[in-house]
Amino acid sequence: MNTSRLSRRGALAAALLALTGGAFAQPAGQPIRVGSTLALTGPLSATAQIHKLVGDIYIEQVNKRGGWLGRPVEWIVKDDQSKPDLARTLYEQLVTADKVDLLMGPYATGAILSAMGVAQRYNKVLVHHTLGIPSLAKYDMQFPAWSLGTDPATTVPNTVFDALAAGPKPPKTVAVVTNKFPSIHFMTAGAREVMKKRGLNEVLFLEWDFGNRDFGPIANRIKDANPDFVWVGAIGLDGNLLLDAMKKIDYAPPQHFYLYPAPGPLVSLPEAKNALSVTIFEEQPPFTSNTGAAEFVKLYRERATKAGLADPSVETQAAASYTAWQILEAGVTATKGLDDKAIGTWLKANRVDTLQGKLRFNGTGNFGDDLMRVKQVQGGKWVVVWPKDVTAGGAKLLAP
Amino acid sequence: MSGFALPSATLLSQSVLSGIFVGALYGLLGLGLSLSWGLLRLINLAHFAFAFLAAYLCYQMAALGVDPLLSLAVLVPLFFAIGAALHWLMARFAVTPFNSLLLTFGLTGIIEAIIQTIWTADFRKLESVYGEHKFKIGVLYVPVPELITLVLALGLSFAVWAVLRYTDLGKAMRAAAEDAPIASAFGVNQKRNALLLAGTCAALASIAGVCLALSFTLAPSQIYAWIGVVFAAVMLGGLGRALGPLIAGTLIGVSEAVTMAVTAPSWAPIVSFTLLIVILVFRPGRAT
Amino acid sequence: MKSGIMKRTPLAILAAGIALAFVPALGLPAFYDSLLYLMLHWIVLATSWNILSGYTGYFSFGHGAFFGAGLYTTSTLLARYEWPFLWTLPVAALVAAVLGVALGAVVFRVKGVRGELFALLTLAITFVIGTIVVNTPLDGGQGVSLSAVPVPAIGPTQSSTFYLLALAAATLTMLIAWGLYVSKFGAGLFAIHDDEDAAEVMGVPTYRYKLMALAISCALAGVAGGIHALFLSYVTVGEVFTITVPLTVVLMSVLGGSRHWAGPAIGAVAITALLYSFTAANHAVAGKAMVGVILIAAILFMPDGILLRLRKLFKRAPKAQPGAAHPPSQLAPQVLVPSAGSSPAGSGEVLLRVRGLQKSFKGVRALAGVDVDVRRGEILGLLGPNGSGKSTFINVVSGHYVPTAGEIVFEGRGLAGHAAHRIAGAGIARTYQIPRPFAHMSVLDNVALATMFGGAVGSPAEARRRAMTWLEFTGLQGKAAAHPDDLNLHQRKFLELARALASRPRLVLLDEVLCGLTPSEIDDAVALIRRIRDQGSTIVFVEHVMRAVMALTDRVVVFNHGELLAEGSASDVMQRPEVMTAYLGKAHAVVPPPSVEVAHA
Repeated sequence: MNTSRLSRRGALAAALLALTGGAFAQPAGQPIRVGSTLALTGPLSATAQIHKLVGDIYIEQVNKRGGWLGRPVEWIVKDDQSKPDLARTLYEQLVTADKVDLLMGPYATGAILSAMGVAQRYNKVLVHHTLGIPSLAKYDMQFPAWSLGTDPATTVPNTVFDALAAGPKPPKTVAVVTNKFPSIHFMTAGAREVMKKRGLNEVLFLEWDFGNRDFGPIANRIKDANPDFVWVGAIGLDGNLLLDAMKKIDYAPPQHFYLYPAPGPLVSLPEAKNALSVTIFEEQPPFTSNTGAAEFVKLYRERATKAGLADPSVETQAAASYTAWQILEAGVTATKGLDDKAIGTWLKANRVDTLQGKLRFNGTGNFGDDLMRVKQVQGGKWVVVWPKDVTAGGAKLLAP
Repeated sequence: MSGFALPSATLLSQSVLSGIFVGALYGLLGLGLSLSWGLLRLINLAHFAFAFLAAYLCYQMAALGVDPLLSLAVLVPLFFAIGAALHWLMARFAVTPFNSLLLTFGLTGIIEAIIQTIWTADFRKLESVYGEHKFKIGVLYVPVPELITLVLALGLSFAVWAVLRYTDLGKAMRAAAEDAPIASAFGVNQKRNALLLAGTCAALASIAGVCLALSFTLAPSQIYAWIGVVFAAVMLGGLGRALGPLIAGTLIGVSEAVTMAVTAPSWAPIVSFTLLIVILVFRPGRAT
Repeated sequence: MKSGIMKRTPLAILAAGIALAFVPALGLPAFYDSLLYLMLHWIVLATSWNILSGYTGYFSFGHGAFFGAGLYTTSTLLARYEWPFLWTLPVAALVAAVLGVALGAVVFRVKGVRGELFALLTLAITFVIGTIVVNTPLDGGQGVSLSAVPVPAIGPTQSSTFYLLALAAATLTMLIAWGLYVSKFGAGLFAIHDDEDAAEVMGVPTYRYKLMALAISCALAGVAGGIHALFLSYVTVGEVFTITVPLTVVLMSVLGGSRHWAGPAIGAVAITALLYSFTAANHAVAGKAMVGVILIAAILFMPDGILLRLRKLFKRAPKAQPGAAHPPSQLAPQVLVPSAGSSPAGSGEVLLRVRGLQKSFKGVRALAGVDVDVRRGEILGLLGPNGSGKSTFINVVSGHYVPTAGEIVFEGRGLAGHAAHRIAGAGIARTYQIPRPFAHMSVLDNVALATMFGGAVGSPAEARRRAMTWLEFTGLQGKAAAHPDDLNLHQRKFLELARALASRPRLVLLDEVLCGLTPSEIDDAVALIRRIRDQGSTIVFVEHVMRAVMALTDRVVVFNHGELLAEGSASDVMQRPEVMTAYLGKAHAVVPPPSVEVAHA
């Protein structure tokens, strides 16, 4: 039997099923149990709540169309309270005491690495959605749903600077300001290398502590340095706080970029006009024609609004989360079973159709392509502006 | 790699101003905590939870069209009552200072859970009319929300200081803090004074909360982000001293801001806390 | 002899540790190992914190700094220098301890730093070290990944290895905590907790003891950190150098009971179990609220901590006391004889020679240069109006204050400027005018402390035996198990006396011992003081009660405004005009004094 052809057919069938979402037989038999943790309380809960919502939506959808292998899928999720040591313990509970069939990744790099250790010890596949530093992922059977590529610290900044170079006002001087949070710091370090290679002049470099409250002096120094472009290594609130601080001194950088801002708050700030960021998915063509996208976007918006989330649109976090489920489903369906080794082998050799497009996992550390695109706040909304082939309606990078 | 950069005068003075503003907030947050710890011998961790709860309520009321400063008219009495009620509970069970830490920590967890249930873990930012405006004094920018915070911090600190120093009530409270049985013997109505004071501390927390809402983005887990630095300001300023948290908070804020202006901002905590250590070691009783 | 009890507890701890070591062999799902690891990890942290902060009362908010120091020492050695994991643990302990001692060496020297100031300093150190770590190659902002480091195969699974390591650390920590609790060192720490200055004057070398407690506390935290580094396998600054760790250990210790060696361990298990029980996702947020409610209920209904509440429930010893109490002794009266040879009263040999003693407090000259000789075996009265410097004299001679200038020579040794505990060890003891007993210790233990430190007795059991004789001497034997709060003023004064005598001093300084006593109590006290002198002590006796002065003293000196005004026998000195002026003011100088009756010894 030509297994790879069968597997590809299997993947195609799965994709078709997801796309059409027609009526299916009720899933029957013993539920397939998938276990994970999320930071439902604690400092990371603001983003983890998105992943909870996405997981719930996915489980509901999949059970409506017949489950996996005809069986219902059950998600056992626990609260790791934003603590990696608790995440590790809970994953061990899921594997050794609760004896779940499959694992799903938790939120954020620290917890993912803890989970990865457990997965490695018990030879379980781990699909995860938010690991920010690919080089740390040394386990053979881990698979990233966040398509950063193998060397995001180089490829992502290159994408960003390509976009800027193709824009109306390619910058010559750059100010780099960043948080010292590990996944941010790592990307910013790469960005600085890229800038050097491209001959850009770094006029300012500042790092601040995670938890810094006062961005006044930093904003002032940026203003003083008068750069063409500001690269802000931001995570969570930082972007907002910095923009606030800049507004307070009447300064608006000509062009600015924020690495991983908290979904939602940034786009609604008037002073975030023309801010750039990166994404793997936005609620616009061509992304919305990817596998499963249209229906998911609709469902997510409904549920997020009902849950009271400030921003009910799907972007990187929600998309990566949903992609992770799609990947796991593809592996299960293609290998017609729950054997971790088989799933792992299949994933490495095949491509999966997801929200983000066709993903592959045969690069270093099982990472595939860098699918990060550049988006910009235009008219109070995120619009994808680069590369050209994923923009819609003639959108392009604006510079004042 | 940024080393030591000689800042322009504008940068330096704007940074100092920025430090003063954040220090004022430390002081305002610390005021109620310091009074409670120094005069009532209760370490109230829930003080931060009260401030954030007030901030969220202010945010919610603003969404309904109520001006943030006007919302104080509702929040101050509400939190006064909550603070007095909490104190009544602790007094009834004769809770010791360290036990009060534990109790208020539990309370903080409860309040955080309530906030997260109502407003989710999302970041919330209050967009107020005040946030839109700023003044310019020479080359220095003075944003209105920060100015409000500074004015409130100064005003309230001095008001409390004056009450403690000059009024009978204030003297009675200080006496009771020093030697409760003797103060009672002199006719000081401690129970009533303590309830008044506890209510006032919580009311101060709510005012700080409104200032937080005006200037910062809110998230439930942010409650804990302020504990460390405000405790530092309170302890440095001397427990129970009305002007202490403000002065100490300003010291911390300005030293951090200046550090951020002249060198790598990530070194800022070292400078402020080393300064604090030096002050404590060389002049322990007279930090302010 | 009840030494059996003393030996039982450490054996029990060791036995428990060994028994628990078999848990991994039970073949339970590995996650139990990890969960138990977390509990043991917090037991180590909470108990080690308590060794400093619970025992001495120096409330530290910096446990995170020392934990983090250990954590980063191990991660650096593992990631950068590829050391074998187990060898990094002693180094982690050492680094943390050195850090702690360096901090303590500076901070403990400063007199004013107590209470919340010490808490603040330790909190500040946490942020300083955290910032240093994040800004240097130790971490640099990227975190340290230890996933490539091999975990030694001590247990059947990786999780059980950590469990066993933490078990070893926890057993060690509990043994140390218990050992300190029942030792002389621990008694000294508890004395520091209650009244550091009095402890120092009783002979406890407070500075050295605090440093040692700090070093032990930090070392244990460092070990916990080292083990945890590999457990996490990815280490970041944001997890470690915050207020979370210190706050958590405080909560655990207070909840469990911070005055007992096992309290923090109970609190650690309780809180870890509590936090863990609410991990089901459906009610994660509500779970957080429940934890808060439970904590509040716990502290309201168990204000002294879980441990004490359990003990009351099982009707064990009435109050938690370090070690077990001992029955009254039947020691021969010989023990009451002071160690150095005694001679008859007023034999002329000078025991204490003070020359030119000065003490100023920020411009106020309390002592302006006095010369006093105290002869062996005499009772010297120290008189003078209020503010004349009498109490200051006592405070300076006993070492409570350091003199500004002048010489103090006791039995030929210069003592001026020496630490109070050395002076106590040299044979000088004093009582306080307002009694300062150690409030949380029993009456017996109060006296035993002085026996151990001033009197240099090594074993707490022996010290208690001797302390009992002193209680009998002062008539307090019936109150041995009581606490100072239960005593009335008269009894507390006698406790002061018993404590002063317990160190077998050659010189006893009594500071207004009779003030506040009723006339019959005064008679008792006078008789007691006489007995004290009769068995060989020399006494300097500050007093206002004239009839006692007349009755007891061989000689008196009179101070005024910090200077020596007069000297001689009591009846003689009291009639001098300058003395009367000092006491009563000029107008009375010409009035002949009423005849003073002289009580016969």
